[in-house]
Amino acid sequence: MTADPAHDPATGAAPDAAPRRADGLGVHALRRRFGPHVALRDVDARLPEGSITTIFGPNGAGKSTLLKILAGSLRPTEGSVTWRGDALDPRAAEWRARIGVLSHETHLYAPLGARENLAFHTRMHGLEKPDLDAALARVDLLDRADDRVADFSRGMRQRLALARTLLHDPDVVLLDEPFTGLDSHASRLLEGVLRTLRDGRRTVVLITHALSEGLALADHVLVLVRGRVAFEASADGIDPDGFAERYHGLVDAADVPGVAP
Amino acid sequence: MTGPGWLSVVTAVAGKDLRIEFRTRSRSLTMAGFVVLVGVLFNFSIDQALVRPQDIASGLTWITLILSGLIGVGRTFAIEKEDGALAGLLLTPAPRDAIYVGKVLANFLLVYAIVLLTIGVFGLFFRLDYGNHPGALLGILAAGTLGFVALATLFGALTASTTLGESLLPILLFPLLVPMVVYGASASGRLLAGRPVAEVAGQGRMLAAFAVLAVGAGAALFGQIVEE
Repeated sequence: MTADPAHDPATGAAPDAAPRRADGLGVHALRRRFGPHVALRDVDARLPEGSITTIFGPNGAGKSTLLKILAGSLRPTEGSVTWRGDALDPRAAEWRARIGVLSHETHLYAPLGARENLAFHTRMHGLEKPDLDAALARVDLLDRADDRVADFSRGMRQRLALARTLLHDPDVVLLDEPFTGLDSHASRLLEGVLRTLRDGRRTVVLITHALSEGLALADHVLVLVRGRVAFEASADGIDPDGFAERYHGLVDAADVPGVAP
Repeated sequence: MTGPGWLSVVTAVAGKDLRIEFRTRSRSLTMAGFVVLVGVLFNFSIDQALVRPQDIASGLTWITLILSGLIGVGRTFAIEKEDGALAGLLLTPAPRDAIYVGKVLANFLLVYAIVLLTIGVFGLFFRLDYGNHPGALLGILAAGTLGFVALATLFGALTASTTLGESLLPILLFPLLVPMVVYGASASGRLLAGRPVAEVAGQGRMLAAFAVLAVGAGAALFGQIVEE
């Protein structure tokens, strides 16, 4: 099944013919193999600039692989990535200075304190006079600034990782399952911070299994199933119940032997 | 967008590694314990009535340097693998060669401190006379330590991502260390025997060249090794 940009009666999604901003991030005929396993199969998608694109999909759909390719951590086997219509090398230092990545792993040093972790990150980005207190306050960790990360809970680590992700004010924010393992307080705090990213300037790509949270934040929605784009639409006016039904239908259809891939 | 300065990344990475080591002492205590145990074992296993410790101290020192260094440097990427810290580091625009040099700098300071401990321990057990040129001896050992650390850090990055991990490191590393051990053990042996510094100047230059070459090759290859 491929992307269908036409109006979707099941979800109420509007046609996505008019992007908010020209082009943004684009992936073209993207294919990634891991030995005999094909994680991404000729994926074509557009992630509009200045908006939040939420990518849904079951485990093994290729979501994290796609995000790693956008972050430059993985090379595609075939295909290309573009930014504002121009070919992009996601491994270039200029691109890495523009992106912030939050993944399953927090990328933190447990023996160091929260402030020390952020200070180290600022040095890696060459930031001058960063306001670390403000960054810590943003994720409600200012009072634990000098405590070692080793003593933090999973939720606190994830909040600190989010602070690190946003510290250098990235233009493009790539978030892989940021809600995983968080309690309700941490989830709400994270959701609040993510809403502040909706400033029209930042391009956010959010991967999540959480349909309601992901949809609430999204401007644009993408569903990956078995390494293919199964659904792509603007989130404007999308009906959450209809979308959930459609999503589960896509996933179930892919699980039926002989139907997919 | 200016990006991070090369030297700033080097000092930040080295400072971070040393700070973590200072807090956890996971590598330094193991290495120091190993050196003391080796000193005790050598003390009992060598019949000092038949063998002059002064004659074999150089070889023992270099063997201890390499084995204790392997223990320490072999784990240099262990902390980087926890919670994907290295992956996070590689998502930044920091120059890969600067990250490598920062790790080499931290490892050098750690291993060289252990080398100084080795000299102290062996001096205590074997009552060694460090001759008239202790500065030259320390210089020879510093060049050897740098060459060793440069290669061990590079191969440590390589083996950290394999299932064999640290057990693969000596197999890859030892053959490349042969020239360093030949020149280093010979030069420090002559200095311990009281020979003039001029006699080991050529070996010292070879050791320094080996170290510079190892750091240069490591800086050039590190990015290729740690990135996919």
